[in-house]
Amino acid sequence: MAVDADVVRLRRGDLNALSELITRYQNRLYRYLLRIVRQPAEAEDLFQQTWLRVVEKIRSFDASRNFDAWLFTLARNLAIDHLRRIRPQSLDEPLANSWHSETVADRIPCKDHTPLDHALAAERRTEISEAMAGLPMMYREVLTLRFEDEMKIEEIAQVTAVPVSTVKSRLRRSLEQLRYALEARYPGGTWQ
Amino acid sequence: MSEHDKIRELLALAAADALTSAEEKQVAEHVRSCIACSNELEAWRPIASELRRLPTPQPSSWLVQATLARAEAKLTEQAEHDWNRRVMIVVVALAWLLTIASWPVFHFVSGRFGSLLEPQFSHTSFSHTWISFAAFTALGWLAGGVAAVMLAIRQRGERRLA
Repeated sequence: MAVDADVVRLRRGDLNALSELITRYQNRLYRYLLRIVRQPAEAEDLFQQTWLRVVEKIRSFDASRNFDAWLFTLARNLAIDHLRRIRPQSLDEPLANSWHSETVADRIPCKDHTPLDHALAAERRTEISEAMAGLPMMYREVLTLRFEDEMKIEEIAQVTAVPVSTVKSRLRRSLEQLRYALEARYPGGTWQ
Repeated sequence: MSEHDKIRELLALAAADALTSAEEKQVAEHVRSCIACSNELEAWRPIASELRRLPTPQPSSWLVQATLARAEAKLTEQAEHDWNRRVMIVVVALAWLLTIASWPVFHFVSGRFGSLLEPQFSHTSFSHTWISFAAFTALGWLAGGVAAVMLAIRQRGERRLA
């Protein structure tokens, strides 16, 4: 509801509404872009471009649609155009670089876990994020939208402009490839 | 494809909570009686769980501020653009109004105002008046068109520099 109100205000040219929308979506949008392009500098540039595109296109936004899906579709189109221009091979081929980064919050110890548990959990996250970074762009995208953004399959279908059945098969294949990559790195399931 | 194989293909999606309620029911019923599928489903769960707990990278506050500043400039530019368009519409409407209004003025200036009220003017004078009127209008619109094109070129150049 608050998002809808901010969108209405932004359509009238209210800068405060834009500020609120950026604050609300900054982490999710930046993470999504970083998962796709894997380079922080490129993700930052695309982050700015996405919000400029929002300002440009907000009047053509259909208020009956989901703003999240619309925003992520704009970001996706810009990211894919960018990848096609800069590194066309990156849409299919994995890169060696990892996009994994740890936040301050992740370093705060939890009362219920021992330092060893934390070290192991952090290691597992590093392993899984490195394996994920090695997947093709389409697979990284569907994984981040489903697991990190917690989007429904129908919403992912809207963002990626493919049928629900395609999203499901992409999701299944991405999980299979991820598991295969983890098992290849850590034979015998030692990563778990 | 056997029922077992079909269910096996759904296990990864089950761990991702991406099944329909009917599919969920099917999987739940099957794994109750199939140890292999039950173990397979258990193997998927930690992967799904870790994916949900991956750390979220944070954009820097600098990035957010820079984005806001650029967006503000864009909003201002759009507001100016809207204002220019509104002014342009008013100017065009006025130009049309003036063009139409200039018709009786032409007649008045050329001393034929009376013929408007009494449309029994000769064929020659009618043609002469209309040719002058059309030439004047065409010249006015041509000048306006050239000015509009020049303004558009200048605006595009400014936008490119910005």
